[in-house]
Amino acid sequence: MISVLHPDGYDLLKKTIELSSASLPIGTKLERMLEFAKEGFQSDRSLYLQPEAVVKGGFLSRVAERREPLWVDEAFPLPEGEVLAEERDLLCPAFACLPLSEEASFHGIFYLGFTRNRRFSPGEMDLLLLLAKEMGNVLRNDRLHRAAEKTASELNALHQMGKTSSSILELEELLELIVNTGLKIVKARGGVLRVEQGRHGELAVRFSIGEYHRSPLDERIARRVLFSRTPVSLFRSGKEKPFISVLCAPLISKDRGIGTLTFYDKQSDPSRFDERDLQLLATMANQMSCAIENTMTRGQIASMAEDHERRVGQLSTLWELNKALLTTVHFERIVHMTLTAITIGDGLGFNRAMLFLVNEKDHLLQGTMAVGPDNAEEAGKIWSSLSQKKGNPSELAAQILSSTDNHSLLNRIVKEIQIPLGHDQCILSRTVLAGKPFNIRVPHDAEEWLQTRCERGCHIGSEVGCYVSEHLSRNPNVYAFATVPLWGKGKVIGVILVDNLYNQKPITDEDIHYLTMFSGQAGLAIENALLYRNLNEVHQQLKEAQTFLVHQEKMAALGELSTSVAHEIRNPLVSIGGFARRLDRSLPDDAAEKRYTRTIVKEVERVEKILSHVLEYTHEGRTPRKELDLREVMEESLSMVSDGLSNGEIELVKGFSEEIPRVKGDPYQLKQVFFNLVNNACESMGGKGKLSIRIHPILKNGFPFIRVEVEDTGVGIDPENLHHIFNPFYTTKDNRLGLGLPIIHKIVTSHQGQIEVNNHPGRGVTFSLTFPAQEEKQR
Amino acid sequence: MMKILVVDDEESIRLLYKEELEEEGFVVEVAKDGLEALEQVPLFRPDLITLDIKMPGLNGIETLRRIRETERQLPIVMCSAYGEYKQDLTTWASDAYVVKCADLTELKNTIRRLLRLL
Repeated sequence: MISVLHPDGYDLLKKTIELSSASLPIGTKLERMLEFAKEGFQSDRSLYLQPEAVVKGGFLSRVAERREPLWVDEAFPLPEGEVLAEERDLLCPAFACLPLSEEASFHGIFYLGFTRNRRFSPGEMDLLLLLAKEMGNVLRNDRLHRAAEKTASELNALHQMGKTSSSILELEELLELIVNTGLKIVKARGGVLRVEQGRHGELAVRFSIGEYHRSPLDERIARRVLFSRTPVSLFRSGKEKPFISVLCAPLISKDRGIGTLTFYDKQSDPSRFDERDLQLLATMANQMSCAIENTMTRGQIASMAEDHERRVGQLSTLWELNKALLTTVHFERIVHMTLTAITIGDGLGFNRAMLFLVNEKDHLLQGTMAVGPDNAEEAGKIWSSLSQKKGNPSELAAQILSSTDNHSLLNRIVKEIQIPLGHDQCILSRTVLAGKPFNIRVPHDAEEWLQTRCERGCHIGSEVGCYVSEHLSRNPNVYAFATVPLWGKGKVIGVILVDNLYNQKPITDEDIHYLTMFSGQAGLAIENALLYRNLNEVHQQLKEAQTFLVHQEKMAALGELSTSVAHEIRNPLVSIGGFARRLDRSLPDDAAEKRYTRTIVKEVERVEKILSHVLEYTHEGRTPRKELDLREVMEESLSMVSDGLSNGEIELVKGFSEEIPRVKGDPYQLKQVFFNLVNNACESMGGKGKLSIRIHPILKNGFPFIRVEVEDTGVGIDPENLHHIFNPFYTTKDNRLGLGLPIIHKIVTSHQGQIEVNNHPGRGVTFSLTFPAQEEKQR
Repeated sequence: MMKILVVDDEESIRLLYKEELEEEGFVVEVAKDGLEALEQVPLFRPDLITLDIKMPGLNGIETLRRIRETERQLPIVMCSAYGEYKQDLTTWASDAYVVKCADLTELKNTIRRLLRLL
């Protein structure tokens, strides 16, 4: 019999306590403790029964449940109750089963068996209870130690992740790290990280490991978690429904859900995530949310910085271009420079650019200039040559300007275009009316299509754009263009149209924004150039008007003078001529004096003719104006000179249009004009050559005019005399009377007409008269 | 014999016209201005008058107006160096308008036409 106070008992307890604090593996410790107990009590068996070995229903399970020791010996037989087959082996004359437990946890049972009959003294019982307690402590410590080790390793993983995450700049890398670490910590087969896109709770997968998409519920769970901001652990197993084992936690940063982190399919056994996994995930999600958001913000900042850099680049390009624009006020040059800047790669980089300016007087948009290659081949050539040139845009623009004349087909087409401003079907005139840019992408729906279609088909040319319906119908998938208004001082002075016909690069809103910024500057430059040009024109007109007025005044004075002189001369001429005739008649035919009288009569006739011309020139036309068909007037004039035409070898070619609007005018005066022109032509050809007369209607600034052309193949006009031909009293050396052309000029001008001379010395002259057509009477 | 009154302030013209028209078989009387012409008309009773416009004293236009007050049917030919009055005057009072010219054919033809001698 031993007790705690017994030296053997004390020794046993001491050895056991010493052993429990030794640094040995748990298995060895337990084995030795059992050995000490067996020796100390001289027992036949000492065992440690693991909690798993305790089968329900037997006496062991009763020990475990009640947490009370079981003593069996001579005095206390095994209490009544079931003895399981597995337990029969433990039955012997005396044995003790002591639960190893403390509070809630149960670590197993300490068994001590004897093959002979004996009795457990109270001292022995106390000692065994102490030993069991010590064993329980060893087991508990071991479990705690293992749990602490696990936690430490998890914490270490989290710590490592935290440390690494703060040094990672790339979002993708960070996300990869998070999913990989999480995968290790919760021991899952796969993981997905989703980030909210936009502000409407749309989740996009940013990183994943494993085949997450096999689970249709996955995304729904993620959305719910983001919405509820609560971590979720979901487990479902069964034959009918698919197996699910999912952990999902929200990523919350600054009180805002930014995404979710999901893991699924636990790797270890049991294949179910426990509470601890969920907590770990939640911790990790919390820790990483800020890192993700920071990295995302850094990414945004980086892209903003990039954006700023680009903008600074654009601004400096604009500044360069502006500098270039400031070098001149020459209109054509400024427009060309503007359009070139829009089309060169270092400038705005569009394929083609066209300018249309507002003509306020006629209320239309006038095609002014276009820059751009005529076809893809040419475009390729230009780009490859440009890529070799280096320099800032203003230098480049200047280089291009000096090297290339703008004779492209596109330029010619655009210059012909006139679009009525009221025509709001046309995108160009709409740009002016609305004063805002239009980016016409390939239309996606019918409504947009209708808006861009130009039904009247203003002729920008089939390739260019506004003749949109035609072009789009030919190749609707590739053509896109944009228009921006050109602002002068507070009003739209024109439109720039750009496209990328050849490289088919899409036109972005950013491009339009840039173009709008540039067109703001270009608009001012162009307006200044326009003003300068107008100023120059007005100055020229004033100079001409002044010269004209001085001339008119001179002419008026001269006219008055010549009229009174002419009248004064006429009376004596009548007497001289009249008496000369009488004298002539009274002389016999063979009288020598007859030669003198004849001379007097002839010379008086000549002077009288000159006087008639002078008086006709100064005399204001007073005959009433009538609506005339110029073809008829011309025919009458031709009949007066037809003798000359049929006599000689002059070939008459008449080109009269069938439909000629009428002209309001003085038939006699116009007949005189045509007669003089035809007569001059015949004389200049010396009776030999080709006389072409053409009459046809034309349009000038949208108004109907009639053009009469008289072309000869004669000697032409001496360039020296060309400036004087409309000057009265100017006579050429060949003794022709100088009044014919001035009278023609005067008559044509009084009919609001214009006269132009196209002189080819030695080859002939074309006189071209233009008269305004009589507007058709309203029906 | 038809009688013609030639009114002109230029003596040489009066002489020329008188001789030329007398040669054509007319009886010709002359007056050197409007007033003299007005005196002559009731005395001479001409069948036709040639009337210059620009004359000192009473000019041709005024003279024409006064003669027309009494002589509605008497043929009057305006005979002037000024072509531009042609359209204004022929319309309201005179019967013909001849721009003065050394060749008197036009004047003679006009007179014959008005006197129905052609």
